[in-house]
Amino acid sequence: MSNELLVDVDKLRTQVREKYRDVAIDPHGPHHFHTGRLLANRLGYDNAIVDDLPDRAVESFAGVGNPFSLQRIEEGAKVVDVGSGAGFDSFIAATHVGPTGRVIGIDMTPEMLTKSRDTAAHLGFDHVEFREGLAEAMPVDDAWADVVISNGVINLCADKQAVFAEIFRVLRPGGTLQFADIANGRPVPIEAVRDVDLWTG
Amino acid sequence: MLEDSGFEHVTIGPAVDTFADATGEANARSFEVYGYAFLAQRTATNQSA
Repeated sequence: MSNELLVDVDKLRTQVREKYRDVAIDPHGPHHFHTGRLLANRLGYDNAIVDDLPDRAVESFAGVGNPFSLQRIEEGAKVVDVGSGAGFDSFIAATHVGPTGRVIGIDMTPEMLTKSRDTAAHLGFDHVEFREGLAEAMPVDDAWADVVISNGVINLCADKQAVFAEIFRVLRPGGTLQFADIANGRPVPIEAVRDVDLWTG
Repeated sequence: MLEDSGFEHVTIGPAVDTFADATGEANARSFEVYGYAFLAQRTATNQSA
């Protein structure tokens, strides 16, 4: 399979960081996507769990689907959240796995990491931690995870093959990948694919 | 791509109209963009394709 990258990877990452810094700081601002509790409700998240989370854990949620809709994560599982943002899906996963499990969220945006770490401390979730890293190079040991989750992140990565190879590396053999992302039903013109501005706007 | 990367038993959930009523709806409609949930299992072997 050809793996030609159609955009400038560094430029794309910079724009993604800027976009999601804004979502961390101003979650109700003028974004082109929905955020927060209304989005979680729209995507079919379990209200019994979401309602128990404080606003700061939910308000910057900007996912595109529900990675828990096809399978609940088992109690005691070790989970990696690729592109964890402000931590919403990590906190949902933490509720599923309970205190005997563990969740590691990976994100590259400093403002999201600060917010997710502060929220985890506020919640007293000792089994959740957030690490700075890229989806293509996660600071997680080989075969550590039973489950990898992600939500609306892989579409923002230029080299999707590299991301899936990295997910393969951190998952144990037989482990589960459950993620949500967007897909287009009509082909996007190559000139649009090469336009970094269209990736994040 | 998932299967090329060493995953199997791939399941895809129903389409979700993620951008409905958002300011990005027009762009999403142009290319029929929807959200999906994916479920897959890492193969038991130690090397991805």
